[in-house]
Amino acid sequence: MVPFLKLSRLSIGLTLPAMAILLAVFGVPMVLLLLTSFNAPAFTLANYQAFVDQPANLRVLSQTIEISLVTTALCVVIGYPTAYVIAASSKQLRATLIGFVVISYLTSLLARTYAWILILGDRGLINNFLLDLGLISSPLPLIYNRTAVYIGMVQIMLPVMVLPLISVTVGIDKSLMAAARSMGARPFTAFRRVFFPLSLPGVRSGSVLVFVLCLGFYITPAALGGVRDAMLSTFIAAHAKSSLNLGSTAASSLILLAIAMIVISLIGLDLSGSPSRTPKPARKTWLRLLPSSGLITRYLNELAVPCRAKRWTAQLYRAGTDDRLLKIAGAMFVVFVMLFLLFPGLVVIVMSFSPGTFLEFPPSGLSLQWYRSFFSDASWYAAAWTSIQIGIAVTILSTIVGTLAAYGLSHTFPRLRTVLSMVILTPITFPVIVVGIATYLGLVQLGLIGTKVGIILAHTIGATAYVVVIVSATLANLDRRLENAAKSMRASPFKAFMRVTLPLIRPGVAGGAVFAFLHSFDEVVTTSLVGGLSIRTLPLKMWENMRHQLDPTIAAVASLLMLLPVVWLIVLYVTWWKSKPQALRAIRDAAS
Amino acid sequence: MILPDKSLILPAQLETLRESHSSVQIEFRRVTKMYGAITAVKDLALTVRQGEFLTILGPSGSGKTTALMLLAGFISPSEGDILIGGRSVAAVPSYRRDQGIVFQSYALFPHLTVRRNLEFPLEMRGIKASERANRVDRILKRVHLKDFGGRMPSQLSGGQQQRVALARALIADPPVLLLDEPLGALDRNLREQMQGEIKSLHKEFGITTVCVTHDQEEALTLSDRIVVMRGGVIEQVDTPEALYDRPATLFAANFLGEANLLEETGSDVQAERSRPFGMVAIIRPERLRISTRGAPRSPDADQRQSVIGMVTDTVYAGAQRKYHVQAGTRMLTVREHVASGQQVYSPGDQVRLEWLRSDVRFVTP
Repeated sequence: MVPFLKLSRLSIGLTLPAMAILLAVFGVPMVLLLLTSFNAPAFTLANYQAFVDQPANLRVLSQTIEISLVTTALCVVIGYPTAYVIAASSKQLRATLIGFVVISYLTSLLARTYAWILILGDRGLINNFLLDLGLISSPLPLIYNRTAVYIGMVQIMLPVMVLPLISVTVGIDKSLMAAARSMGARPFTAFRRVFFPLSLPGVRSGSVLVFVLCLGFYITPAALGGVRDAMLSTFIAAHAKSSLNLGSTAASSLILLAIAMIVISLIGLDLSGSPSRTPKPARKTWLRLLPSSGLITRYLNELAVPCRAKRWTAQLYRAGTDDRLLKIAGAMFVVFVMLFLLFPGLVVIVMSFSPGTFLEFPPSGLSLQWYRSFFSDASWYAAAWTSIQIGIAVTILSTIVGTLAAYGLSHTFPRLRTVLSMVILTPITFPVIVVGIATYLGLVQLGLIGTKVGIILAHTIGATAYVVVIVSATLANLDRRLENAAKSMRASPFKAFMRVTLPLIRPGVAGGAVFAFLHSFDEVVTTSLVGGLSIRTLPLKMWENMRHQLDPTIAAVASLLMLLPVVWLIVLYVTWWKSKPQALRAIRDAAS
Repeated sequence: MILPDKSLILPAQLETLRESHSSVQIEFRRVTKMYGAITAVKDLALTVRQGEFLTILGPSGSGKTTALMLLAGFISPSEGDILIGGRSVAAVPSYRRDQGIVFQSYALFPHLTVRRNLEFPLEMRGIKASERANRVDRILKRVHLKDFGGRMPSQLSGGQQQRVALARALIADPPVLLLDEPLGALDRNLREQMQGEIKSLHKEFGITTVCVTHDQEEALTLSDRIVVMRGGVIEQVDTPEALYDRPATLFAANFLGEANLLEETGSDVQAERSRPFGMVAIIRPERLRISTRGAPRSPDADQRQSVIGMVTDTVYAGAQRKYHVQAGTRMLTVREHVASGQQVYSPGDQVRLEWLRSDVRFVTP
């Protein structure tokens, strides 16, 4: 018992570095933010009262919720059929399609938003095309309105919805559908009664993720929306920068956080990544809070019974209809979605080679002038260099800290693991703007505002969360007996980790590192708050450019950013591809 | 291609339809299934009689599962036709075939309770709630799971899941039951118990059953007839006893039990005049009698053949003892029931192996 306790205490210790950074940069300031919002030590509701008293605030709040809800709904409607078709396709096709979705997911948010400006803008792709055809005489108002916000947000959020959906639907045993059909369920009934209920966990986590991310969304609505489409996050950011009244900023941040927390706790979010095939029936959902819903469906089912009885005997042994049309429709839908996800990026890349004084599609010639301007303009490449430096530092720090934490978590009691993982994941489950404000407060206290160290720490908390998610998922799939086998061959716990576990989870660690780098390289909300005036990262510079002047150099930068995830995917592929023989070698080494 | 009959059948007609074809329930007419260039099943011709328990036995890749999936309607034949109750079902989708299927991994719906799982096929057939409840109660009692209706499948043991899967396949009284490696996931004791259960359920329901397995013991105990398949082609179809006693091919002999080749053992079997051309002589291990080399011959020596060999290995397996004996260039296996006062041989002992001429079988190699 004693060594067991010691061991578990030791593994908890591995989460300490991650926890320390998180608490200093984010945890303590979060508490401060809470206290400030209540005017501690007076503890009044004055700040909340002030928020509620302003009709404009309430309008922005309801608008934020509305935009988030509509975006989530659109993502479900588009994402579910997409995931269904992808999951049902052949193995190679599935891998390719998932690859496309992942590339879209990993592509810089700024670059993708910028792409929509190029497509929807007054002198953008669509308007130019229609003007050229003579269909319209003046540009259509495609941008700076709610529709543009939805188009941009859905494109950015769709991968967040589709990826969890795919992972759930691929895991559904195909023989279940076959079983339902063998019992006389028509294809649609089999889908509705068996496949759909089993895919609900994916719908649930996808929706919650999308909704919560939308709540804190900042870049896309500000870039594509009109003045009347402001989100609460834009509002908070403006407040934090201009006013000295921290109390009202704190109150509005916490209101946003409260909404996110309510949604998460009601619907439930499973980021643990452990592949559990069997759904947990005990899970509380808001659907279960309504005991009548099951009764109603059952009642409706009962009404359909006589009709079904007639149909069953009438149609027994009759030839089936051809479902080829349905398959073609599904394929076309997925093609359309893939175009929607990837086309904007291609547009930017093509346009970045425009020879004229502004961007055009299709380019009338081929010119590298914008690339030249990127590499010759000191302010651009200095920003890029700063981002690379910060990105590398964040990657190294968060990969080490996150891997240790994930390993520590995998060796503790399940209950403690759940609590600690939830804490470590807060930087990516809380609305971005709330994380930004809290981090800002934390770095003010540490005196690190406007320093690279400050930005690195600010990025590390989010990056660590990604590393923990990915490495934990890899560890969950790892056979624990391998490590025990190494220990039985007299390898110390450290040696066993280095020689067996680490080589085996290396794909996960590499994936986590890539996510950490991309997270840092694309971060703009927190950076804009904590960067002060002295530090310009590439995303910051891009963001300022996008808002103020549309220097076409940005197209070259965006194109380079689009290539980044592709490069990383190739790097990852090579590591993963190489890791298989290495894993075997690791076991052999440990044995010898 | 034979066009499917699209005429409307009333239940009453269906009954007469079933009865009129009572002798042959399922028929494979020269069915071929290709996956690209690979032929999974080739020219399969097979009939299953009403109420029969037919097992398709073969190693993995023999096409047995493809045959079952064709029958279930999850895949359609590249060539040929399948008839159920005398009707072509080539174009009939699985959900209109009225079959009960027990899947290899049971395929119990993980999100539904046992009761709801059992109700599913009844619901699909439009049976009223009260009647459904009655039937579920009845079948739960029948498979000894009376108090398990409220459980989720994940809360059941492997054997219990198996019984729920069987109950779900049988509850709607389908005319045909298909079993896909039904006992593969169970441990030995449970498997024997479930074999008994399946056999009694089959007898009770009188349902035409097609079972696919690679387990020879399962095939021998359950089946009325066994089909041995290899490489997409049927090797032999016969009753278990006939199949074991008179295998047609060396493959069938080896897949169902063990067989000793008698060629090149130094026995006079090669000189046997009754030996058909192109065939080889085999003998089952339990038909061999082992004795000390110099022991006196038995009185019926003229009906026997014998070889001299050397014991290389002995395996004790409870009720039986197995000897591996080197004779000529062959290794022969002898299986002897353990009895008291029996002589036990050890490796290196010179022994004589004897057998009755009538126990020798000739098979195609």
